[in-house]
Amino acid sequence: MTKAWRHRLAGLLLWALVAAAGAGWLAHARVEQLRAAFDTDARIVHRLLSQRVVQHDAVMATLALLQPPVPGAVADTVAASTLPRLPSVYPQILAVLQRPAGAAWPAAQKAALDAAEASSRRSGRAEMALADLAAGRYHLVLAGTPASYALQIDLAATVPLEEWPMNPVTSPVRVALERAGQSFVVQPGRRLDRMGWHFSVHKLLASPSQPLDVVAERTVTPAELPWWAMLGWCALTATLWAGALAWWRQRVARQRAEELLRLGQVARLNTLGELAAGMAHELNQPLTALLASTQAAKRLLGESPPDLDTAFEAMARAVEQARRASAVVGRLRRLVERPDLAGQVQPLALPVAVGDVLRLVEPELQQRGVVLEVQAEHELPAVLAEPVALQQIVHNLVMNALQAMEQVAQAERRLELHMGNQDSGQVALTVRDHGPGIPAEARDRLFEPFYTTREGGLGLGLTLCESLAQAMGAQLWLAPAAGRGAAFVLVLPVAAHAPAPAHPAAPLPTPVLP
Amino acid sequence: MTDHATPLSPLIHLVDDDAAVREGLSLLIGTVGLRVQAWADPLAFAAGFDRASIGAIVLDVRMPGTSGLALLEQLLAQGVDQPVVMLTGHGTVDMCRRAFKAGAAEFLEKPVDDEVLLEALQNAVRQHVRSRERHQADQQARERHAQLSAREREVLGLIVEGLTNKEIGRALELSPRTVETHRANLFAKLGTESLAQLIRRYAALVDNDAP
Repeated sequence: MTKAWRHRLAGLLLWALVAAAGAGWLAHARVEQLRAAFDTDARIVHRLLSQRVVQHDAVMATLALLQPPVPGAVADTVAASTLPRLPSVYPQILAVLQRPAGAAWPAAQKAALDAAEASSRRSGRAEMALADLAAGRYHLVLAGTPASYALQIDLAATVPLEEWPMNPVTSPVRVALERAGQSFVVQPGRRLDRMGWHFSVHKLLASPSQPLDVVAERTVTPAELPWWAMLGWCALTATLWAGALAWWRQRVARQRAEELLRLGQVARLNTLGELAAGMAHELNQPLTALLASTQAAKRLLGESPPDLDTAFEAMARAVEQARRASAVVGRLRRLVERPDLAGQVQPLALPVAVGDVLRLVEPELQQRGVVLEVQAEHELPAVLAEPVALQQIVHNLVMNALQAMEQVAQAERRLELHMGNQDSGQVALTVRDHGPGIPAEARDRLFEPFYTTREGGLGLGLTLCESLAQAMGAQLWLAPAAGRGAAFVLVLPVAAHAPAPAHPAAPLPTPVLP
Repeated sequence: MTDHATPLSPLIHLVDDDAAVREGLSLLIGTVGLRVQAWADPLAFAAGFDRASIGAIVLDVRMPGTSGLALLEQLLAQGVDQPVVMLTGHGTVDMCRRAFKAGAAEFLEKPVDDEVLLEALQNAVRQHVRSRERHQADQQARERHAQLSAREREVLGLIVEGLTNKEIGRALELSPRTVETHRANLFAKLGTESLAQLIRRYAALVDNDAP
């Protein structure tokens, strides 16, 4: 019991391990898939934002180029014609400021813009100023000659929503632009502080003038794992496990049944051996006395003069011992006598009974590669037989046929069973094999007890079949030799007036192919 | 059933638990002039049979109380010298081998033919008589040899070795005449008439004497 439980527990653990490994792999694959998608999105976001900010550089460079070479002359024209139009073309540009030579930036922003301009003049490229990333605003200043320009940029408008790879409202990815402790949230994403797998990408925008850090982050929560698939996997392995277990149990049970069958056969042989030994002893004693007495009498009569009195006494003893031996035989007969089968016959459908036996021997048929042909005439009447005896006879005949066919090549092994009406009104079952047939000298002795043509055979099988058949009013004989193999015919009486019982057209096992 | 047998004829002990078998075999054995004592109980037989009698024992292998084979082993262990003929209802090769290994003289299967059984018994009896005679002769020789004086034993030893009277005298520092006297006494005491007889019967005892 404890051993069985330990096995069961070990099996359960093994299943749990397999299920957990599979589920873990599924979860891991999903997380990796989400990570790859996140990386791709982050790359696209970085590229899109970079392209946009680079446009600002281009705009500034263009403004610088469009300045008239002569200061003062056409400057007003540029300011008047180009500058106001820029915000309408580029929605992210809120305002364009121009500081012609000699003029000053608007007072409110003067200090910051002056510093940026000085810085821009040193670096030769645009510089950021007045950054308020929380509000999404900053200025871009390019020092130029004669005029310097400043653009006020709106980051929210910079985001190219039409090309955006994610839905900015529902996407779980948080995207922000950061610089010097400030940050502009492009899309909020989901909360990041929850338990799960945390992904993040930091990358500066590809514009030296606007070195904003693109920060993409997301957290994959356990809720995003493929729970249904994982559960399905567990269920699948559990089902397979249970199936394998059931199959194994069935196999063990079948093996045990076979073992029992074999043991039963051995036990029967042992019993038979004991019976023979007991019988030998019981018979040997009177036979010994009988032989000794008669031989003593013969000697006494041969003397001269013959000792008639003693010889007479010896013969009387011999008679007594002969009677004793005969009584032993009688006792043995009564011991092994079968109850009267004639009283136990009942109407039954022959094809059904034959089908039952064939199902029993199907493994033997397959093992030997025997082709089975079963034919039953239509509208066979029910036969009168004792079911067990009938099965025993059919089983014996079929097994005999199989054993006979072991002597021929597998391709020739063919077993034919035919059930049909006899002219006499009885029903006959013919079992024909395609073995080597029965030698002429054996044909007459086939039903004799202890006569066998088989090595190690007891010589009781056909004798038993014949006496069983006779006991229930049937007959069993060997069909005259015709063609190859041997054919045994069992002729059964028909049940009077009784229609064939249940399943008249009983399904027979399909022929077994080699 | 002892009508045909004289009181001095060999005695066959027949042990079988079956009365009819005992009666039939007794009658048969009696027809050739052998006496038969039949025993139904193997233990009673082992305890009470005449061990000095000349003859043989017939044992059934299968008996209640003890097996014939066990009884056979027990008898031989006790120094019983009667040959034992085993009878069995169904003898296996193994049983046969065990019986012969234990010292059975014969192993026969029931029912047994008269000629086979009687011949086996007569052989056994002959064998027993011979072994008893040999035993008796040995006994007599030992007794006679014991009567010799120490000097006569010395002389006997040298005679058996093939020395002449003169040589014996030299070896024992005796005169040839004295040796001759010892020799005559020795032949008389041992009851032998020729040198050949003396050597055949007593050489073995001389060897036993040798220091």
